[in-house]
Amino acid sequence: MSTVIILTPVIIGGWPVITAAVSGAAAALGFVVRDAAQAVHQQTQQAAENVQSAEIELENSEVLAENLATDEAMVVEKGGIQLKIWRDERGRCRVCAEGKGRSKAELESVARQFSERLTQCFVYNRVMSELKARGFQVVNEEMTQDESVRIHVRRWEG
Amino acid sequence: MESHEVEITISRSGQVQALVKGAKGKACLQYAELLARIVGEISDQRFTSEYYEPDSEVHIDLEQKQGS
Repeated sequence: MSTVIILTPVIIGGWPVITAAVSGAAAALGFVVRDAAQAVHQQTQQAAENVQSAEIELENSEVLAENLATDEAMVVEKGGIQLKIWRDERGRCRVCAEGKGRSKAELESVARQFSERLTQCFVYNRVMSELKARGFQVVNEEMTQDESVRIHVRRWEG
Repeated sequence: MESHEVEITISRSGQVQALVKGAKGKACLQYAELLARIVGEISDQRFTSEYYEPDSEVHIDLEQKQGS
């Protein structure tokens, strides 16, 4: 053993990279990806029905604008809770949870859980692609009991 | 030829712990730099006895594609 490093992830990427991580997080947590335009229309209708909502910012995130339309978003849904993920005007990634008859605390908890899983998926995708591109071989990868992802890579030197 | 291994654990909340094995001396610093470029900021780093052994060679392309 030579060193142990603890890293705090920084989420920087274009919209396609973010949506790949959103899809991964949605699949892991049992959310279904919905058509964003239809979902936004439904949200407008629900606004009159006193639907509760909670919004959080994904920590250390920067979504690169590239060819992204300003109103572009991704929407996922599970059990009557709808999550909208989008890039705000400062370039941060935000997650908004909405649900009829749900408390703000519950919705905030769901949004936070989703954003954490989104971060995990983003880091996993980035680590795998970057290390493979640099000639690392993946020896093993597994999901542990506490739902961490463990990746073991090897590289020959000399 | 020597084998350098990295075990990366990504927690459910996205925090990352990496264990670099087999890279002696300053070589492991290059792995730390590489992982920081890929993942984010190093919030803690601990060295073990292998770090203080004579350096092993490592040639990593740190400038490869970033953040696309």
